[in-house]
Amino acid sequence: MELLDAHTLSRLAGVKLRSRAVMEGVLSGLHKSPHQGQSVEFAEHKEYAPGDEVRHIDWKAYGKLDKYYVKRFEHETNLRAFLVVDSSASMGFRTAALSKLQVASTLAGALSYLLVRQQDAAGLAIVTGERISDVPARSSPSHLATLQETLEALEPRGTTDLFAAADHLAEKVRRRSLICVFSDLLDDRPDALRRIFQLRARKNDVAVFHLVDPAELTFPFDDPTLFLSMEDDRRIEVNAREIRESYLEEFQGFLDTVRADCAQADVDYVRVRTDQPLDQVLLAFLARREGSRR
Amino acid sequence: MTFVHPWLLLGAAAALIPLLIHLFDRRRPRTVPFAAIAFVLRSQRRTASRLKLRRLLLYALRTLVLLALPVALARPELRETAARAQAGHGLAATAIVLDASLPMRFTDGTSLFERGRALALDALKDLAPEEPANLTLCGLGAGPPASPGFERARMHAALEEAQPTYGGADLNRCLELAAKSLEDSPLPNKRVVVVSAFTAPSLRLDLPPPTLQGPKGEALRVEWVLKDAAQGRAALPNHAIVDLKVEAAPQVAPRAYQYTFTVRNYAAEPVKDLVALLKVGDRTVAKGFLELPAGGSVQKSFTHAFETGGVFSGRVELAADGLAEDDARAFVVQVPHDIRALVVNGAPNNVRYRDEAFFVDAALSASNSPVHETLRDAESAFHETFEAYDLILLLNVRAPSPEVAARLAEFVRKGGGLFISVGDEVEPDAYNARFGDLLPRAMRLPKTAALAKDADADAKAAKFGQVDFGQALFTIFSGKAQEGLMSARFYRYILLESADLKAEGESAQVLAAFDDGAPAFALARRGRGRVLLYTSTVDRTWADLAIRTAFLPLLQRACALLTGSLEEHEELRATVGDTVALKGDAPHTLSAVKGPSPRTVPLRTEPNGQTLVGPLAEPGLYQPLDEKGGAMPALGFAVRLDPAQSDLTRLKPEELTAYFGEGAVKQGGASEQERRTPFWTWLLVVAAVAFFLEGLLLRRG
Repeated sequence: MELLDAHTLSRLAGVKLRSRAVMEGVLSGLHKSPHQGQSVEFAEHKEYAPGDEVRHIDWKAYGKLDKYYVKRFEHETNLRAFLVVDSSASMGFRTAALSKLQVASTLAGALSYLLVRQQDAAGLAIVTGERISDVPARSSPSHLATLQETLEALEPRGTTDLFAAADHLAEKVRRRSLICVFSDLLDDRPDALRRIFQLRARKNDVAVFHLVDPAELTFPFDDPTLFLSMEDDRRIEVNAREIRESYLEEFQGFLDTVRADCAQADVDYVRVRTDQPLDQVLLAFLARREGSRR
Repeated sequence: MTFVHPWLLLGAAAALIPLLIHLFDRRRPRTVPFAAIAFVLRSQRRTASRLKLRRLLLYALRTLVLLALPVALARPELRETAARAQAGHGLAATAIVLDASLPMRFTDGTSLFERGRALALDALKDLAPEEPANLTLCGLGAGPPASPGFERARMHAALEEAQPTYGGADLNRCLELAAKSLEDSPLPNKRVVVVSAFTAPSLRLDLPPPTLQGPKGEALRVEWVLKDAAQGRAALPNHAIVDLKVEAAPQVAPRAYQYTFTVRNYAAEPVKDLVALLKVGDRTVAKGFLELPAGGSVQKSFTHAFETGGVFSGRVELAADGLAEDDARAFVVQVPHDIRALVVNGAPNNVRYRDEAFFVDAALSASNSPVHETLRDAESAFHETFEAYDLILLLNVRAPSPEVAARLAEFVRKGGGLFISVGDEVEPDAYNARFGDLLPRAMRLPKTAALAKDADADAKAAKFGQVDFGQALFTIFSGKAQEGLMSARFYRYILLESADLKAEGESAQVLAAFDDGAPAFALARRGRGRVLLYTSTVDRTWADLAIRTAFLPLLQRACALLTGSLEEHEELRATVGDTVALKGDAPHTLSAVKGPSPRTVPLRTEPNGQTLVGPLAEPGLYQPLDEKGGAMPALGFAVRLDPAQSDLTRLKPEELTAYFGEGAVKQGGASEQERRTPFWTWLLVVAAVAFFLEGLLLRRG
């Protein structure tokens, strides 16, 4: 598969990726730094609170107002992004042109290209069951090739383990970063997604790309069907037509729950049908982030 | 419930198709690796019970459709009898009248009576427990029924044991008695259930239908329920022997008899090549074929000559039809034995034609004569043993000695026959003196009507004036034969004392008289025998009767009469239901009468000594038995059916309606009064609803 095909890249060329929140970075760029005081552009005064650095206290304002104020500055900084790709066996399900894993790889590749292109650092974490393999975040153009080769080599296997992914990222991501999770989220454990949300609580900017196959949305089976699990040995023979209504209710409930939980946790949620144009997915995602920044 | 097309019920096997599909349909499911299998599992768990119920419903609905359709196509009908339907009209005292007459014996595999019995049992079963009922078997000897009661088991047993009779049914009377029996019931409703074939002879429509009166004399309405044992058949084709005459046919043979029977066809279709048989004992002696026109009758004769005398029984039979009982008619014929006659010639003559016995000898020795004669002159004849003969003919014999006269009187009293003809040798006074009461009447003087040699002798001669042709002696003379008898001329004859001048026994009678009123033939019964006195000669001396054609049969007839043969030939004509009186002296020793079946025939002796037998319940041969149980063939007789009962013409429904009223409920007829509910339409509706629900379930599933 050729990732980042010309059509997709030409549609993304004019878009500048901006992080929604002020990120801590070392590289100047299009992003605003979360570190006040290092930039030349004064932003505002803030009443001193314990925990603020003493060196940022504006003594002139103290002299005039007899209160401690801290000066805050806007500062351009570079973005550090981690792209987490779920490569469990269920991601290999495909009824459209691309499997969920292929779509996830494409999206991750495109994002990494954009990030590196604007001199942001992009890293990669591949989740295969409990096993996590990652590529450190770097911003050099040569790093892009490494990322893409890694994505290119992905094979679906193992189980979906969001716990493992979350734990790995919590350990690896020391600074505030953009974390994009590409997964079908089919982890039966009830609080698996909450573990991802904890990354957001640690000031990271988290986006969840929820990959859904059209067959999972429509359940287009009629005859007696033997369904086999792609991650373990579960199997069930049912008359698909008889349970379609119930399945669709269950699955829609799952989608709604995920969306609601993400909104509640201030996590960006992007549902990706594997048969929809991927450039539109990225454009919509980037546009939404741009809008929220302004 | 019944079906118009029951063979279509085979299609109901299609109802097994859903089950068979469920059991044997094992299609391999399509295998699909699926990522969101957790949701499939969850959905399956959530919907399992609902799906199971849905599958059961689908299975039931499909089975119902496949079952209802063929059953509906078989056109089921729910039948409800009108009587049952009327059960809701209120309790009623019920009289069940079952026709047990001869027509109910008609069979076409199952007799009408059996069908009637089943209908009567149904009527009994349909009664509510609170309804009192009684039963009338309307046949020969039917009497009034008991008051309505609740002894169902006894009525049931009575119906089970009931048998049809051979007599007619007076349904009018039976219905009247049945209706009357309901008058005392306190229940306001009265019902009479009539089970019959409703043939024309059984019910007279010109008589008013029975009515009921309440305790205050008010008229009560009767609910008539008519159950047709013939199940609405328009006609019950039947032919029958309606008449049989057995007559001697001496012109054929001495002991020949002619059997003339009449066969009537009551059917609307002609009958061809109908076989008729004459059986004597168990042997078929004659066979013929009949062509019966529709609704017409045919007469046919068989002739059979017996080899010996005696009493014989037999039957005339037709090929049996639905009512076989009237296709045979039994008879008893008593063939006279050969008569041993002692002819005593009182005036022998060497010239044969002048011999007194010449013409008698010629007549009795004719080829067909039943008489075996022994010809003797007076002297030798009286030395004979009279008991060796059945009959003694005294032809112009001088008055015998008192001893011989006494022997002759004893001979007669023991049953012998005595024929006396007169002539020149007969002296009336001597005869009167010697024979006394043995003579039918005492003799007077000879009378000469004319002299044979006179030119006008024929005109002056006496002729028969009064002849009782009803007497057995003369019954054979009719037409030209009668003319031959009446043309005889009598020139001289002996006058007899008149009846009032001589004590005459009750049995003495003048059978024929001359034109001046003088007796020509006088008959008397003396003891068990008979004496016949002819007042002229049996040769040509006093009369020319001997040369008349009537002489031979007249003399043979006289021999038969005197030996009792003619009297015994009188047939005892008895019909089923009759009570008959047996004739003769024999009844005094009668102990029983054996009928066609082992059933005992009622027998009783009247104060006047007459023995009555009957009522005779069955057609066929009846044989009286003496005190020792031995058969008395001479008294045997045959009993016939009433020919009117062979007419099985059916009364029309409209006639019954007109008679019993519009409210009469008719059942079992062609216009079947059973209420038929076309159940199949409801089945189609059920199938359609089931089909709709099945589709609805599928769509929702």
